Amino acid sequence: MHVFISMEELVTVLVTLLSVLLPLGIAVGCIIMGHFTEKWHLQSLRERESGYPRSAVSQVKTFPNIQPGSQTPQLVVAEVVIASDYWKTFWAGWVNFFGGEMRGYQKMIDRARREAVLRLLEQAEEKGFNAICNVRIDTADITGASTAPAKRAASMACVLASATAYMTS
Amino acid sequence: MLLTNTETIPGYRIKEVKGLVQGNTVRAKHIGRDIMAGFRNLIGGEVSGYTELLTESREQATERMIDHAEDLGANAVVNVRFSTSAITQGAAELYVYGTAVVVVKETET
Repeated sequence: MHVFISMEELVTVLVTLLSVLLPLGIAVGCIIMGHFTEKWHLQSLRERESGYPRSAVSQVKTFPNIQPGSQTPQLVVAEVVIASDYWKTFWAGWVNFFGGEMRGYQKMIDRARREAVLRLLEQAEEKGFNAICNVRIDTADITGASTAPAKRAASMACVLASATAYMTS
Repeated sequence: MLLTNTETIPGYRIKEVKGLVQGNTVRAKHIGRDIMAGFRNLIGGEVSGYTELLTESREQATERMIDHAEDLGANAVVNVRFSTSAITQGAAELYVYGTAVVVVKETET
């Protein structure tokens, strides 16, 4: 009776283990990473948003509370592309089958929009303004979801936002 | 060149309307960026390559619109709007349009 297993047997066992564990490990890794990326992003959004008053962002065409004689308002534009993660895509696949709300995707595009508005505010601040008005938010389709077969297109939220920066009193 | 996405510019008066001006561009990133975007789709987060793609496209389209406005002798573009369309995977068409105008400071009239 052998105490040691032969080299061939060892290799077979290792290969079998690897072929099962590796994809599983990658999947679990991606799910964990995805979870934390979203958590950290939401945390950063909350922190940065708290630095601006609610009245700094408006969607009207006039300039609310504009300071007379302040510097000439300027256009600000921001772009954000946020990718889905392994778990969201996987879950959305099931929801697509059974129907219902795709909460993961809803949160993803919401994050992208909030990030875009924050970038507008940050740009306005850089240029020496303290408010933005006439905020317009638009989405783009970089992955070609509307042109390619649905299964080949990656899920991403592509947001393009524009606004006019001005000075409030 | 003054650019705003509002219909008026505070402190300025629109003297003359030069009409619609527009600029567009269709751009793509190299294959490496597309592959990186594929990996991004596993772990989530911002796809900086594609954000950059949108930024570059927007800058180029805006430049073209400004050139057009300058040719017409305008000194401002008001009511600027951005629009995108899907052409194919990994590419973006960005279209920017606005109204070219000649503005003067309200005090000068």
